[in-house]
Amino acid sequence: MASEEESAVKEPLDLIRLSLDERIYVKLRSDRELRGKLHAYDQHLNMILGDVEEIVTTVEIDDETYEEIVRSTRRTVPFLFVRGDGVILVSPPLRTA
Amino acid sequence: MSGAGAVAGEKGSSTTKTPADFLKSIRGRPVVVKLNSGVDYRGILACLDGYMNIAMEQTEEYVNGQLKNKYGDAFIRGNNVLYISTSKRTLAEGA
Repeated sequence: MASEEESAVKEPLDLIRLSLDERIYVKLRSDRELRGKLHAYDQHLNMILGDVEEIVTTVEIDDETYEEIVRSTRRTVPFLFVRGDGVILVSPPLRTA
Repeated sequence: MSGAGAVAGEKGSSTTKTPADFLKSIRGRPVVVKLNSGVDYRGILACLDGYMNIAMEQTEEYVNGQLKNKYGDAFIRGNNVLYISTSKRTLAEGA
């Protein structure tokens, strides 16, 4: 499964190239995640994503119980330019469930 | 003094001379990649480049030692990398 890809992946950016026009997962700094269709990218990992779902995860401390409250805020954006320096991880869509 | 440096260099893997040689030599091996944020990624190192951008397979994401996510393939942007370590531990067979 992975072996047929290995021949095409000679450097890490090839993994991104193979994901063009596919929906990808992007993990960004400050607990942000994006899922969207990769339209374009460059060597800095600047990216143009389409039909993007952004998930922002925040952790708050409850004033009374001091419990951590994890909140996920979602929003959708038709088109997004992502500056590369915020990118931590990029993953192509999962082919196996 | 100069001799001591050479000995220290030979102590590691027999083929490794420079950090770049080490990185070349560990392609295809199971590795642990730690990021500056403290998050660990365990998986098979597919390849890497001069920026220390990393492509990994069968990647597992560990936050505070807990498995948080799995990725079939993962690209990690090099600037986030704290270290890359080879691991003998085989991947947990979750799938």
